Amino acid sequence: MTATDISAPAAGGQPTRRPRRGGGPARTTNRITPWLFLAPALAWLLVFSIWPSLNTIRMAFTNAKPLGGNERYVGLENFALILRDDQVVNALLNSVVFMLICLPLLTILPLLIALLVEKKLPGITFFRTAFYTPVIASAVVVALIWTFMLDDRGLVNGLAQQLSFISEPLPFLTERWLIVISAVSLTVWKGLGYYMIIYLAALGNVGKELHEAAAMDGAGAVRRFTAVTLPGVRGAMLLIAVLVCVAALRVFTEVFIMTGGTGGAGGEALTMVMLIQQYSRGFSGDLGYASALSILMFAITVVPLLLLGKINSRSNA
Amino acid sequence: MRITRTTLVTGVGAVVATALLAGCGGESSGGSDADGEITGSIRFQTWSLTPTYTEYLNGVIADFEEANPGTSVELLDQPGDGYSDKVLSQASTNTLPDVLNLPPDFALPLAQQDFLYDVSQATDLPATYVEGSVEAFRFAGVEGVYGYPWYLGTDVNYWNSQQLDACGLDSSAPPATTDELFEQAATMAQACPENYLISRVPGLGDFTLEGIDILNEDGTEFIFNTPEAAAIIDRYAEAYANGEMPPTVLNSDYLGNSQLFTEGKVAWTTGGATAIDSFEENNPSLKDNVAISPALNISPLYVQGVSVAADSQNLATALAFAEFVTNTENQNEFAHIANVFPSTQGSDGDTYFTEDDGTPSAQARVTGFESLQTAEVLTPYSVNGAMNDYLGQQIALAIRGDISGQEALDTSVEKLNDLLARQ
Repeated sequence: MTATDISAPAAGGQPTRRPRRGGGPARTTNRITPWLFLAPALAWLLVFSIWPSLNTIRMAFTNAKPLGGNERYVGLENFALILRDDQVVNALLNSVVFMLICLPLLTILPLLIALLVEKKLPGITFFRTAFYTPVIASAVVVALIWTFMLDDRGLVNGLAQQLSFISEPLPFLTERWLIVISAVSLTVWKGLGYYMIIYLAALGNVGKELHEAAAMDGAGAVRRFTAVTLPGVRGAMLLIAVLVCVAALRVFTEVFIMTGGTGGAGGEALTMVMLIQQYSRGFSGDLGYASALSILMFAITVVPLLLLGKINSRSNA
Repeated sequence: MRITRTTLVTGVGAVVATALLAGCGGESSGGSDADGEITGSIRFQTWSLTPTYTEYLNGVIADFEEANPGTSVELLDQPGDGYSDKVLSQASTNTLPDVLNLPPDFALPLAQQDFLYDVSQATDLPATYVEGSVEAFRFAGVEGVYGYPWYLGTDVNYWNSQQLDACGLDSSAPPATTDELFEQAATMAQACPENYLISRVPGLGDFTLEGIDILNEDGTEFIFNTPEAAAIIDRYAEAYANGEMPPTVLNSDYLGNSQLFTEGKVAWTTGGATAIDSFEENNPSLKDNVAISPALNISPLYVQGVSVAADSQNLATALAFAEFVTNTENQNEFAHIANVFPSTQGSDGDTYFTEDDGTPSAQARVTGFESLQTAEVLTPYSVNGAMNDYLGQQIALAIRGDISGQEALDTSVEKLNDLLARQ
């Protein structure tokens, strides 16, 4: 018998009481405490995230209207309508093209900028600030400024005509793919600084000794970038790719402001979120159909995330 | 303090359940007696009227409270943007104010779902208000009248006289019909390629102006895809192709047109009688350079009303106050302050609305008041935002020349009928 055998009778002959499992007030309080800390966040999540998501799924199978009344289950009718709706095909294509152009630009350009401003040179803080400034500007204000610049009589067309690059103004705000490209330009310009900061943090974790060792082995700047820097920031790059994918598929403000909320002639530059907004707003909004579109949107957002996850796991293997 | 697991689970469960249920809305709790005593507190919601008209509104409230001891009215004013969303959220959570300012297109869906009280049960409306304004709150398929008519509005034409005169046109004889508009737009485009006369695309109102029916008689089907309507669109398309309209007109909405006019980029816009003041305030160079004329063809009629929530806990007070706000005396006073037009009978005897003192503001008011006598509601109230958006998109395609006007209308009618059936 050892001194630590608590089941053994104590010196006075009285048996030592084994602590009760989970019954005592002290143990209960200890268990409850973490939940009390979590409760506000959980309640918030439940009310503003989980409950609306579940409700959206429910409504997608109904003819729900904002004011209620005569709501009934319609099965897969809303999803069948999606298949027949030309606007959905258009909007889906616009959103995916927007994402496919934004993805490489916003994954690579911020890395190059981060490499430029990473160096500790006099006045480098000015450039870091300059690149980050668009991030803190209001998306609506920025979109309005770009709209003025890209107008037929705006700065861009005016300059291009004065320099004789073009004879007629380019319809940046009225032609489908030019609207998409204009919106991509705005998004990239506004997003560079944000992703640059993430890369700067990641670059700070790449050991200098690795660069020095590679240099001693005769590696040039390009080789050091591909063999040392890129593997060092791979995690950040994947994170940024995921963030860009999700944000780009949900593009709304840029195209909405640039097209005056119309999505261009024929609504041909509408994005998925604009389409959802179009159907869900107002007293007679079609919440059932808008919910079905939201579920489609969610499913489409998940695809690139799964792909990127797959790429990540293969790289780790 | 001892906290047991049961207490905790019960407490958290109660909080979460309350939070969830709070967002679920529910059935209307039912109103009080319309013939009851006029007493107690009510809330009165206006739409973008403060701070400009706060003094007037507080005066009306004070007069009502003095005439009805034991009552109190709380004034709520909502911003201009997003008012329909605000009312929608109030209705879906059963928190509609007792008395609220609503135009007929907002009142229609609320009346259909029994959120509003049929005020014709409480008041002999035709005895007080002009017929057209009462009819605006009487909806097909819903028995009753769902708002006291308040102030009325219409559009008049505003022309940049400096641009018109400089571009070979006569600002003292601006276009009076659509035909003249297109003729003069062509003249202006030739004389001043940098300036535009037209900066709008047609909509359902333009079809009504030309006598084209938008809906069938029972309001169940859109029927505006006629060759006459297609010809209107094709005419705009021709003007667009000839450079008589700015390219961004394809994206512009109604506000875009008046904004371009304020900036001096286009020579014509439409607006209410008060618009002249904001034009001159936002662009002082327009002062004394704006010619005013009645709207082309038929003038549009805009109606604002005061509705009463069906589940008001002080229904008698709410009804009495809504009637008080919209009585002849209060409407006349408001019309003088706000440059709008009263919906009560006998206002045409008021020289304020009929005599022009030579100021642009008075000219706009007198022109508007004359137009009001023949003004019509140009767009059916059952047309919602998604329908307007789709039609606008198709018309824009036709104006750009991608499809014909008839194709745009046929596609639109098919889609709008689908949306109407799903309402």
